[in-house]
Amino acid sequence: MVIARIKPIEEILGFISGKKSVLVVGCAGCTAVCLAGGQREVDSLIVDLKDNKGVIFDGYTMERQCEMEFVAELDHLIDGFQAVLSMACGAGVQFVAERFPGMPVFPALDTVFVGANREVGQYQENCRCCGDCQLAYTGGICPVALCAKGIYNGPCGGSRNGKCEVDEKTACAWCQIYERLKDQGRLDQIMNIKKPMKWKNQTQGTLVQRGYEKFQQD
Amino acid sequence: MNIDTKKIKSMLDRKGRMKIFLSVCASCGACADSCFYYRNSGDPESTPSYKALNSLGIMFRKWKKLDYDDLTAMKKLIWGKCVMCRRCYCPLGIDISSAISWARTICRANGVYEDFSEGPSGIKDK
Ligand code: SF4
Ligand code: SF4
Ligand code: SF4
Ligand code: SF4
Ligand code: SF4
Repeated sequence: MVIARIKPIEEILGFISGKKSVLVVGCAGCTAVCLAGGQREVDSLIVDLKDNKGVIFDGYTMERQCEMEFVAELDHLIDGFQAVLSMACGAGVQFVAERFPGMPVFPALDTVFVGANREVGQYQENCRCCGDCQLAYTGGICPVALCAKGIYNGPCGGSRNGKCEVDEKTACAWCQIYERLKDQGRLDQIMNIKKPMKWKNQTQGTLVQRGYEKFQQD
Repeated sequence: MNIDTKKIKSMLDRKGRMKIFLSVCASCGACADSCFYYRNSGDPESTPSYKALNSLGIMFRKWKKLDYDDLTAMKKLIWGKCVMCRRCYCPLGIDISSAISWARTICRANGVYEDFSEGPSGIKDK
Protein backbone atom coordinates (compact mmCIF):
# COMPACT_ATOMS: atom_id res chain seq x y z
CA MET A 1 0.00 0.00 0.00
CA VAL A 2 0.93 3.68 -0.18
CA ILE A 3 2.62 4.89 3.01
CA ALA A 4 2.38 8.49 4.17
CA ARG A 5 2.95 10.56 7.29
CA ILE A 6 1.46 13.77 8.60
CA LYS A 7 3.22 17.01 7.72
CA PRO A 8 4.48 19.28 10.49
CA ILE A 9 1.51 21.18 11.91
CA GLU A 10 3.21 24.55 11.22
CA GLU A 11 3.35 23.72 7.52
CA ILE A 12 -0.34 22.77 7.47
CA LEU A 13 -1.24 25.96 9.34
CA GLY A 14 0.68 27.92 6.72
CA PHE A 15 -1.42 26.40 3.91
CA ILE A 16 -4.70 27.42 5.49
CA SER A 17 -3.66 30.77 6.87
CA GLY A 18 -6.35 33.38 6.24
CA LYS A 19 -9.02 30.76 5.46
CA LYS A 20 -12.15 30.98 7.56
CA SER A 21 -13.53 27.49 6.96
CA VAL A 22 -11.64 24.31 6.15
CA LEU A 23 -12.87 20.82 5.27
CA VAL A 24 -10.49 18.06 6.37
CA VAL A 25 -10.96 15.05 4.10
CA GLY A 26 -9.70 11.62 5.14
CA CYS A 27 -9.06 8.53 3.04
CA ALA A 28 -10.19 5.15 4.39
CA GLY A 29 -7.79 3.40 2.02
CA CYS A 30 -4.01 3.16 2.39
CA THR A 31 -3.50 6.20 4.58
CA ALA A 32 -6.05 4.92 7.09
CA VAL A 33 -4.26 1.58 7.20
CA CYS A 34 -0.88 3.24 7.79
CA LEU A 35 -2.44 5.39 10.54
CA ALA A 36 -1.79 8.69 8.75
CA GLY A 37 -5.04 9.87 7.19
CA GLY A 38 -8.13 7.86 8.18
CA GLN A 39 -11.11 9.02 10.17
CA ARG A 40 -9.22 8.80 13.47
CA GLU A 41 -6.47 11.05 12.12
CA VAL A 42 -9.02 13.47 10.64
CA ASP A 43 -10.56 13.85 14.08
CA SER A 44 -7.21 14.39 15.77
CA LEU A 45 -5.95 16.85 13.14
CA ILE A 46 -9.11 18.91 13.65
CA VAL A 47 -8.41 18.94 17.40
CA ASP A 48 -4.83 20.09 16.73
CA LEU A 49 -5.98 22.81 14.36
CA LYS A 50 -8.79 24.07 16.58
CA ASP A 51 -6.44 26.37 18.48
CA ASN A 52 -6.78 28.42 15.35
CA LYS A 53 -9.51 30.69 16.70
CA GLY A 54 -12.29 31.85 14.44
CA VAL A 55 -11.81 29.13 11.82
CA ILE A 56 -14.55 26.57 11.23
CA PHE A 57 -13.34 23.01 10.68
CA ASP A 58 -15.32 19.99 9.58
CA GLY A 59 -14.20 16.48 8.68
CA TYR A 60 -15.31 13.83 6.22
CA THR A 61 -13.68 10.50 5.42
CA MET A 62 -14.43 8.64 2.21
CA GLU A 63 -13.51 5.10 1.15
CA ARG A 64 -10.80 6.19 -1.26
CA GLN A 65 -9.82 9.54 -2.70
CA CYS A 66 -8.42 7.90 -5.82
CA GLU A 67 -11.89 6.92 -7.04
CA MET A 68 -14.08 9.67 -8.49
CA GLU A 69 -17.34 8.06 -7.39
CA PHE A 70 -16.23 8.41 -3.79
CA VAL A 71 -14.74 11.90 -4.28
CA ALA A 72 -18.15 12.96 -5.64
CA GLU A 73 -19.57 12.49 -2.13
CA LEU A 74 -18.01 15.87 -1.41
CA ASP A 75 -20.14 17.65 -4.04
CA HIS A 76 -22.91 18.56 -1.64
CA LEU A 77 -20.56 19.23 1.28
CA ILE A 78 -17.95 21.49 -0.14
CA ASP A 79 -19.93 24.70 -0.61
CA GLY A 80 -19.14 27.25 2.02
CA PHE A 81 -15.62 25.99 2.68
CA GLN A 82 -12.66 28.09 1.65
CA ALA A 83 -10.12 25.30 1.54
CA VAL A 84 -9.75 21.53 1.67
CA LEU A 85 -7.04 19.63 3.54
CA SER A 86 -6.69 16.17 2.05
CA MET A 87 -5.29 13.33 4.15
CA ALA A 88 -4.82 10.93 1.23
CA CYS A 89 -1.67 10.15 -0.72
CA GLY A 90 -0.66 12.54 -3.49
CA ALA A 91 -2.88 10.72 -5.99
CA GLY A 92 -5.93 11.29 -3.82
CA VAL A 93 -5.11 14.97 -3.22
CA GLN A 94 -4.91 15.50 -6.97
CA PHE A 95 -8.23 13.75 -7.62
CA VAL A 96 -9.97 16.00 -5.12
CA ALA A 97 -8.28 19.07 -6.62
CA GLU A 98 -9.35 17.94 -10.10
CA ARG A 99 -12.98 17.55 -9.07
CA PHE A 100 -13.09 21.02 -7.49
CA PRO A 101 -10.80 23.16 -9.68
CA GLY A 102 -11.96 26.39 -8.05
CA MET A 103 -11.11 25.20 -4.53
CA PRO A 104 -7.65 25.35 -2.97
CA VAL A 105 -6.85 21.75 -1.99
CA PHE A 106 -3.81 21.20 0.26
CA PRO A 107 -2.01 18.00 1.25
CA ALA A 108 -1.90 17.34 4.98
CA LEU A 109 0.42 14.36 4.46
CA ASP A 110 3.75 13.60 2.89
CA THR A 111 3.46 10.52 0.70
CA VAL A 112 6.64 8.57 1.25
CA PHE A 113 6.64 5.18 -0.42
CA VAL A 114 4.96 1.95 -1.46
CA GLY A 115 5.51 -0.50 1.32
CA ALA A 116 4.35 -3.28 3.54
CA ASN A 117 3.08 -3.49 7.09
CA ARG A 118 5.77 -4.99 9.35
CA GLU A 119 3.92 -4.25 12.59
CA VAL A 120 1.15 -1.85 13.50
CA GLY A 121 2.70 1.52 12.82
CA GLN A 122 5.87 0.11 11.20
CA TYR A 123 6.19 0.08 7.47
CA GLN A 124 8.93 -0.93 5.12
CA GLU A 125 9.53 0.38 1.65
CA ASN A 126 9.99 -2.48 -0.74
CA CYS A 127 8.96 -1.34 -4.19
CA ARG A 128 9.78 1.81 -6.18
CA CYS A 129 7.30 1.12 -8.99
CA CYS A 130 10.14 0.85 -11.50
CA GLY A 131 7.85 -0.55 -14.18
CA ASP A 132 10.12 -3.49 -15.03
CA CYS A 133 9.88 -5.88 -12.10
CA GLN A 134 13.03 -7.89 -11.46
CA LEU A 135 11.76 -10.02 -8.58
CA ALA A 136 11.59 -13.15 -10.75
CA TYR A 137 15.39 -13.08 -11.10
CA THR A 138 16.27 -11.75 -7.69
CA GLY A 139 14.63 -14.31 -5.44
CA GLY A 140 11.75 -12.03 -4.52
CA ILE A 141 13.99 -9.29 -3.11
CA CYS A 142 13.82 -5.89 -4.78
CA PRO A 143 17.19 -4.60 -6.01
CA VAL A 144 15.75 -1.13 -6.64
CA ALA A 145 14.18 -0.34 -3.28
CA LEU A 146 16.43 -2.41 -1.01
CA CYS A 147 19.87 -1.85 -2.53
CA ALA A 148 21.19 1.61 -1.74
CA LYS A 149 22.52 1.94 -5.29
CA GLY A 150 19.55 0.29 -6.98
CA ILE A 151 21.87 -1.81 -9.09
CA TYR A 152 20.81 -4.70 -11.29
CA ASN A 153 24.11 -6.55 -11.38
CA GLY A 154 25.13 -6.67 -7.76
CA PRO A 155 26.65 -6.82 -5.34
CA CYS A 156 28.83 -3.77 -5.62
CA GLY A 157 32.32 -3.84 -4.12
CA GLY A 158 31.10 -2.48 -0.81
CA SER A 159 29.16 -5.47 0.43
CA ARG A 160 30.78 -6.68 3.69
CA ASN A 161 29.68 -9.54 5.94
CA GLY A 162 26.17 -9.31 4.57
CA LYS A 163 25.91 -5.58 5.31
CA CYS A 164 25.72 -2.56 3.01
CA GLU A 165 28.59 -0.09 2.82
CA VAL A 166 26.16 2.83 2.80
CA ASP A 167 24.89 1.90 6.27
CA GLU A 168 26.46 -0.98 8.11
CA LYS A 169 23.26 -1.57 10.10
CA THR A 170 21.42 -2.39 6.88
CA ALA A 171 21.52 -5.76 5.19
CA CYS A 172 23.06 -5.83 1.72
CA ALA A 173 20.15 -6.62 -0.57
CA TRP A 174 22.40 -8.32 -3.11
CA CYS A 175 23.90 -10.52 -0.45
CA GLN A 176 20.36 -11.57 0.51
CA ILE A 177 19.50 -12.15 -3.13
CA TYR A 178 22.58 -14.36 -3.52
CA GLU A 179 21.83 -16.37 -0.37
CA ARG A 180 18.21 -16.95 -1.26
CA LEU A 181 18.90 -18.00 -4.83
CA LYS A 182 21.68 -20.27 -3.62
CA ASP A 183 19.27 -21.96 -1.18
CA GLN A 184 16.81 -22.46 -4.01
CA GLY A 185 19.48 -23.72 -6.40
CA ARG A 186 18.75 -20.84 -8.77
CA LEU A 187 22.03 -18.91 -8.85
CA ASP A 188 22.04 -19.11 -12.65
CA GLN A 189 19.33 -16.39 -12.50
CA ILE A 190 21.92 -13.74 -11.67
CA MET A 191 24.83 -15.04 -13.69
CA ASN A 192 23.74 -13.22 -16.84
CA ILE A 193 24.49 -9.52 -17.01
CA LYS A 194 21.32 -7.44 -17.00
CA LYS A 195 20.91 -4.71 -19.57
CA PRO A 196 20.68 -1.14 -18.32
CA MET A 197 17.31 -0.29 -16.81
CA LYS A 198 15.00 1.88 -18.88
CA TRP A 199 13.80 3.80 -15.82
CA LYS A 200 10.34 4.16 -17.24
CA ASN A 201 9.21 5.63 -13.98
CA GLN A 202 10.85 8.91 -14.91
CA THR A 203 7.77 9.80 -16.95
CA GLN A 204 4.20 9.96 -15.72
CA GLY A 205 2.63 6.52 -15.58
CA THR A 206 -0.75 5.44 -16.93
CA LEU A 207 -1.90 1.84 -16.75
CA VAL A 208 -4.71 0.21 -18.66
CA GLN A 209 -5.15 -3.44 -17.62
CA ARG A 210 -5.43 -5.98 -20.41
CA GLY A 211 -9.05 -6.29 -21.55
CA TYR A 212 -9.93 -2.78 -20.49
CA GLU A 213 -8.48 -0.96 -23.52
CA LYS A 214 -11.91 -0.21 -24.92
CA PHE A 215 -12.77 1.81 -21.84
CA GLN A 216 -9.73 4.02 -22.22
CA GLN A 217 -10.59 7.65 -22.81
CA ASP A 218 -8.65 9.70 -25.32
CA MET B 1 -22.79 7.12 23.05
CA ASN B 2 -25.48 8.88 21.09
CA ILE B 3 -25.93 8.73 17.39
CA ASP B 4 -27.72 11.24 15.23
CA THR B 5 -30.68 9.45 13.64
CA LYS B 6 -31.75 12.63 11.81
CA LYS B 7 -28.38 12.76 10.14
CA ILE B 8 -28.66 9.06 9.29
CA LYS B 9 -32.05 9.69 7.74
CA SER B 10 -30.79 12.54 5.62
CA MET B 11 -27.84 10.44 4.46
CA LEU B 12 -30.20 7.57 3.60
CA ASP B 13 -32.47 9.95 1.71
CA ARG B 14 -29.59 10.92 -0.53
CA LYS B 15 -29.35 7.31 -1.69
CA GLY B 16 -33.02 6.56 -2.29
CA ARG B 17 -32.09 4.48 -5.33
CA MET B 18 -30.14 2.11 -3.14
CA LYS B 19 -33.26 1.39 -1.10
CA ILE B 20 -35.10 0.34 -4.24
CA PHE B 21 -32.14 -1.72 -5.40
CA LEU B 22 -31.82 -3.55 -2.10
CA SER B 23 -35.54 -4.27 -2.08
CA VAL B 24 -35.29 -6.11 -5.40
CA CYS B 25 -32.47 -8.39 -4.23
CA ALA B 26 -33.74 -11.89 -4.93
CA SER B 27 -31.21 -13.52 -2.59
CA CYS B 28 -30.19 -15.63 -5.56
CA GLY B 29 -26.61 -15.82 -4.33
CA ALA B 30 -25.11 -15.09 -7.74
CA CYS B 31 -22.98 -12.30 -6.32
CA ALA B 32 -21.28 -14.68 -3.86
CA ASP B 33 -18.79 -16.09 -6.34
CA SER B 34 -17.65 -12.64 -7.44
CA CYS B 35 -16.46 -11.87 -3.90
CA PHE B 36 -13.00 -13.22 -3.13
CA TYR B 37 -13.78 -12.94 0.55
CA TYR B 38 -16.70 -15.36 0.25
CA ARG B 39 -14.76 -17.67 -2.05
CA ASN B 40 -11.87 -17.88 0.38
CA SER B 41 -13.92 -18.32 3.51
CA GLY B 42 -17.15 -19.97 2.37
CA ASP B 43 -18.73 -18.01 5.20
CA PRO B 44 -22.38 -17.27 4.29
CA GLU B 45 -22.17 -13.96 6.17
CA SER B 46 -19.56 -12.75 3.73
CA THR B 47 -21.71 -12.94 0.61
CA PRO B 48 -22.01 -9.41 -0.77
CA SER B 49 -25.80 -9.34 -0.57
CA TYR B 50 -25.75 -10.46 3.09
CA LYS B 51 -23.31 -7.70 3.97
CA ALA B 52 -25.34 -5.03 2.17
CA LEU B 53 -28.74 -6.16 3.49
CA ASN B 54 -27.45 -6.45 7.05
CA SER B 55 -25.86 -3.03 7.07
CA LEU B 56 -27.47 -0.46 4.78
CA GLY B 57 -30.59 -2.64 4.51
CA ILE B 58 -31.05 -2.53 8.28
CA MET B 59 -30.39 1.22 8.29
CA PHE B 60 -33.18 1.78 5.78
CA ARG B 61 -35.58 -0.45 7.70
CA LYS B 62 -35.04 0.76 11.24
CA TRP B 63 -33.16 4.05 11.10
CA LYS B 64 -35.40 5.54 13.78
CA LYS B 65 -34.53 2.84 16.30
CA LEU B 66 -30.82 2.51 15.55
CA ASP B 67 -28.37 3.00 18.37
CA TYR B 68 -24.61 3.13 18.72
CA ASP B 69 -24.39 -0.60 19.50
CA ASP B 70 -26.25 -1.47 16.30
CA LEU B 71 -23.67 0.43 14.27
CA THR B 72 -20.78 -1.07 16.23
CA ALA B 73 -22.20 -4.53 15.64
CA MET B 74 -22.05 -3.90 11.89
CA LYS B 75 -18.30 -3.33 12.02
CA LYS B 76 -17.37 -6.98 11.85
CA LEU B 77 -19.49 -7.32 8.73
CA ILE B 78 -18.77 -4.19 6.72
CA TRP B 79 -15.10 -3.82 7.61
CA GLY B 80 -14.22 -7.27 8.88
CA LYS B 81 -15.61 -9.15 5.91
CA CYS B 82 -15.21 -6.67 3.04
CA VAL B 83 -12.15 -4.91 1.65
CA MET B 84 -14.13 -2.65 -0.68
CA CYS B 85 -12.40 -4.04 -3.76
CA ARG B 86 -15.66 -3.43 -5.64
CA ARG B 87 -15.45 -6.61 -7.64
CA CYS B 88 -18.87 -7.91 -6.60
CA TYR B 89 -21.29 -8.33 -9.46
CA CYS B 90 -25.06 -8.65 -9.40
CA PRO B 91 -26.90 -9.65 -12.59
CA LEU B 92 -29.84 -7.47 -11.53
CA GLY B 93 -27.56 -4.46 -11.51
CA ILE B 94 -27.52 -3.87 -7.77
CA ASP B 95 -24.40 -1.87 -6.90
CA ILE B 96 -23.64 -3.88 -3.80
CA SER B 97 -20.28 -2.37 -2.93
CA SER B 98 -21.70 1.16 -3.08
CA ALA B 99 -24.36 0.06 -0.59
CA ILE B 100 -21.75 -1.37 1.79
CA SER B 101 -19.62 1.73 1.31
CA TRP B 102 -22.53 4.02 2.15
CA ALA B 103 -23.21 1.99 5.30
CA ARG B 104 -19.58 2.54 6.25
CA THR B 105 -19.86 6.27 5.56
CA ILE B 106 -22.98 6.54 7.73
CA CYS B 107 -21.19 4.67 10.52
CA ARG B 108 -18.19 6.99 10.25
CA ALA B 109 -20.43 10.04 10.38
CA ASN B 110 -21.63 8.69 13.74
CA GLY B 111 -18.23 8.01 15.21
CA VAL B 112 -18.11 4.28 14.39
CA TYR B 113 -15.18 3.46 12.17
CA GLU B 114 -12.32 1.17 11.35
CA ASP B 115 -9.18 1.60 13.41
CA PHE B 116 -6.15 -0.02 11.88
CA SER B 117 -4.20 0.19 15.10
CA GLU B 118 -6.54 -2.59 16.29
CA GLY B 119 -5.64 -5.00 13.53
CA PRO B 120 -5.21 -5.37 9.79
CA SER B 121 -8.94 -5.32 9.08
CA GLY B 122 -9.54 -2.27 11.22
CA ILE B 123 -11.54 -4.05 13.91
CA LYS B 124 -10.62 -5.85 17.09
CA ASP B 125 -12.35 -9.20 16.64
CA LYS B 126 -12.90 -10.82 13.34
S1 SF4 C 1 -6.16 7.95 -2.45
FE1 SF4 C 1 -4.06 7.21 -2.09
S2 SF4 C 1 -4.08 6.68 0.07
FE2 SF4 C 1 -6.23 6.77 -0.56
S3 SF4 C 1 -6.74 4.66 -1.19
FE3 SF4 C 1 -6.09 5.77 -3.03
S4 SF4 C 1 -3.91 5.27 -3.22
FE4 SF4 C 1 -4.49 4.79 -1.12
S1 SF4 D 1 11.92 -4.50 -9.24
FE1 SF4 D 1 11.51 -3.59 -7.26
S2 SF4 D 1 10.87 -1.49 -7.76
FE2 SF4 D 1 10.74 -2.66 -9.65
S3 SF4 D 1 8.56 -3.31 -9.68
FE3 SF4 D 1 9.78 -5.00 -8.79
S4 SF4 D 1 9.63 -4.65 -6.57
FE4 SF4 D 1 9.02 -2.73 -7.56
S1 SF4 E 1 26.54 -3.07 -0.46
FE1 SF4 E 1 24.84 -4.27 -1.29
S2 SF4 E 1 22.98 -3.09 -0.81
FE2 SF4 E 1 24.73 -1.72 -0.48
S3 SF4 E 1 24.93 -0.64 -2.43
FE3 SF4 E 1 26.30 -2.43 -2.57
S4 SF4 E 1 25.06 -4.04 -3.50
FE4 SF4 E 1 23.66 -2.45 -2.86
S1 SF4 F 1 -27.32 -8.78 -4.81
FE1 SF4 F 1 -27.93 -9.50 -6.85
S2 SF4 F 1 -26.72 -11.36 -7.19
FE2 SF4 F 1 -26.61 -10.90 -4.99
S3 SF4 F 1 -28.26 -12.11 -4.07
FE3 SF4 F 1 -29.14 -10.09 -4.51
S4 SF4 F 1 -30.04 -10.26 -6.57
FE4 SF4 F 1 -28.67 -12.05 -6.29
S1 SF4 G 1 -16.34 -4.99 -2.33
FE1 SF4 G 1 -16.57 -6.31 -0.50
S2 SF4 G 1 -18.39 -7.55 -0.97
FE2 SF4 G 1 -17.70 -6.69 -2.92
S3 SF4 G 1 -16.33 -8.24 -3.81
FE3 SF4 G 1 -15.02 -6.83 -2.61
S4 SF4 G 1 -14.84 -7.75 -0.58
FE4 SF4 G 1 -16.60 -8.75 -1.61
